[in-house]
Amino acid sequence: MGYRVLIVDDSPAMRSVIRRVIVLSGFDLEECLEAEHGGEACRLLQERPVDVILTDINMPVMNGERFLEAIKADQSLEAIPVVVVSTDATEHRIRRMLELGAQGYVTKPFFPESLRGELERVLGVNYG
Amino acid sequence: MAETGAGEILCAAAQQVLETMFFTTIVGERQGPPEGPAVAARVSFEGSPSGTFGLKLSAEAARAIAANFLGVENDEEVSAAQTGEVICELANMVCGAMLSRVESGSTFQIAHPQLDAGEEPSDGAVARYLDLDNGALALWVRFDGQ
Repeated sequence: MGYRVLIVDDSPAMRSVIRRVIVLSGFDLEECLEAEHGGEACRLLQERPVDVILTDINMPVMNGERFLEAIKADQSLEAIPVVVVSTDATEHRIRRMLELGAQGYVTKPFFPESLRGELERVLGVNYG
Repeated sequence: MAETGAGEILCAAAQQVLETMFFTTIVGERQGPPEGPAVAARVSFEGSPSGTFGLKLSAEAARAIAANFLGVENDEEVSAAQTGEVICELANMVCGAMLSRVESGSTFQIAHPQLDAGEEPSDGAVARYLDLDNGALALWVRFDGQ
């Protein structure tokens, strides 16, 4: 059975690129859900469980930090691995998101291999 | 921040972003902003310092960069809306790469990028004009209080 992935980013173009990287990396993808911000993502997660979440930080309505806090406060969602994909490469921000429970962090701009590697690491798979 | 330092950081951030995700190369500096049809975006940021960042691409560069980013072979297949979305994301990434260099010891917040008419601020902005392998690019940043 394939992976169900949720991409949370307010940029449609960036969501499209992340989805393409996942597909081209060879991941067995069952479903790829998308949300424009953390609030929409929370609603989606109540209806459709996923195996991994990739989220931006700077988003309207509910940003990535508040979204991550909401996930980790929900017993039904807290085990889902979260990879942050953000333009913010400051040590302070990376440390903060990891402390909140993110399992991975990829800085934009990224090479496809970086995103693939981080996804493989948090999912415990290797597509060579 | 000194004008030279800010300008160098702008160019370094743009080069990193353009080469990594947009498959576009900076080939040199130019004397002024792109002339003729163009696509421009700006984004404000809060941090230490706060300010506004903007960029303006010649229309041919904007289309080519959008096609590269979206993985579309023929840039004529990219709509104006898609081009706008990609240029906003480009502005977001260059701004983030610049601020990660400027504000490495603190945090910053970047607002949602907006397409605009491409007018540079008349005062207090640091600007750089670059030739790309697919067109022309202007970059500027203005820090609040400068």
